[in-house]
Amino acid sequence: MKTQSMTRGEVESALARAGLEIPEREKPEIAAAAHFIEEMAARLRRKREMGAEPAHIFPPPGE
Amino acid sequence: MVPDFLTIAEAGALIAKRELSPVELVQSRLTRIERLDGKLNSFIRVLGDEAFAAARSAEAEIIAGRLRGPLHGIPIGLKDIYETKGIPTTGHSKVMIDHVPAQDATSVRRLTEAGAIVLGKLATHEFAFGGPSFDLPWPPARNPWDTSRFTGGSSSGTGAAVAAGLCLGGTGSDTGGSIRGPAAFCGLAGLKPSYGRISRAGILPLAFSLDHAGPMAWTAEDCAIMLQAMAGHDPADPASANRPVRDYRAALSGEVKGLRIGLIRHFYEIDNPANEVTQQGIANAVKVFEGLGCSVNELRLSPLADWAACGVMIMLAEGYAIHEATLRERFIDYGEAFRDRMALAALITGGDYVQAVRRRRELIAELGAAMTDLDLVITAAAPSEAPTFNSVSKFAILERPSLTMPFNVTGSPAMSVCCGYTLAGLPLAFQLAGKPFDEATVLRAAHAYERATPWRSIRPTLPPS
Repeated sequence: MKTQSMTRGEVESALARAGLEIPEREKPEIAAAAHFIEEMAARLRRKREMGAEPAHIFPPPGE
Repeated sequence: MVPDFLTIAEAGALIAKRELSPVELVQSRLTRIERLDGKLNSFIRVLGDEAFAAARSAEAEIIAGRLRGPLHGIPIGLKDIYETKGIPTTGHSKVMIDHVPAQDATSVRRLTEAGAIVLGKLATHEFAFGGPSFDLPWPPARNPWDTSRFTGGSSSGTGAAVAAGLCLGGTGSDTGGSIRGPAAFCGLAGLKPSYGRISRAGILPLAFSLDHAGPMAWTAEDCAIMLQAMAGHDPADPASANRPVRDYRAALSGEVKGLRIGLIRHFYEIDNPANEVTQQGIANAVKVFEGLGCSVNELRLSPLADWAACGVMIMLAEGYAIHEATLRERFIDYGEAFRDRMALAALITGGDYVQAVRRRRELIAELGAAMTDLDLVITAAAPSEAPTFNSVSKFAILERPSLTMPFNVTGSPAMSVCCGYTLAGLPLAFQLAGKPFDEATVLRAAHAYERATPWRSIRPTLPPS
């Protein structure tokens, strides 16, 4: 499955939009680690039936 | 003269026979802390006066014939995410350095009601996530087997303190391996019980659906004793299981003949290859179990990277939700390891999180089906012995798939068990996991293994501070 790769600029923009004031020295280190998130998300995104339920569906209230 | 090293079971027996006073025992641990902890940094707060007061009270009760049980008069440490009434609970962070809880965590209350004596608050990775860190209000804990080495985390202080005999047991928490990792690196028995077995109420959270509280001690028997006190339904924790609590110590029959064990070899031979000495340690442990009459057969599951991705994405998303507001206001007040790791969670979408939780349901079903005709599974707890501090990178938790995360994903009881030492004297470990709420079988197997091997008689040699 093709993994979309974020550029350093895109990562930094995403973090800025999240409101995180990251020291300049740490920005490239975080950006360089962003691929881990993309790779894990791609691994988890597999073909499933529309009705494939997540874990932790809670029981009906009162039950 | 109180021995340097005592298990909870040993000390409890001496106290019950009135051959050891809780006051003497507490004094011996506080002296030991003063002598050794300057090099280990396991405690961030020692509660000497409070511990002595509790010890005198315990002694009076025992003399009056009111022994509460095997934990009465036993000195323990609490990971500094367990809230303690009137005593700061900081998460080892500048962000909560002034936080003084109004009440004890449920599990703390249960331990003290069982008679355990709290010696102090133990070092942790920042909020059970960011470490090892040298930029926090207190230094990181060091491994008593070799102080240039990492204890593992996040229950780092508990690992160091129990291994060094500074306390006889301690509490940890485990969201992706934070009990089992330090137990493995520090040569302890560390149990992550089933999700919901021990109340999370009053424990600073990292990820609501992955957090587990649990005991760390020298032996499986000691873990059973602590679990007995900590376990049970708690209405204050919405995930708390309303299931009967077994007599875990009574279940330690020593008999494991006929247990069926699945060996998840590919996790540590292919998916996250362990070093040769670790692989050999596990192979030797398998032979011990076979010699005890267990059947051990290879078990194949989804790749470790699937389990790790599922758990890590859930952990990051849930942890980020907890800390998001504070990260926006005070990013720089967190340590660098915590803040930069958690910043990555801002890249996770809502859709990514739901896909992880859908995968979680699939993996829970997979392990359940795989264990239909099994009692336990065995695999590695860590890919090697404890590494040096300077070899642990900031994003280490992402670089290789976690060997411990699968059993956080499924909520299964899982335990790290010491299986020997390297030539340099560093502990090795394997991991046992069981069916939901079958802590008794996990502990029984670990206990039988410990009795069949010499590892529990080997303690670290500690130079004075």
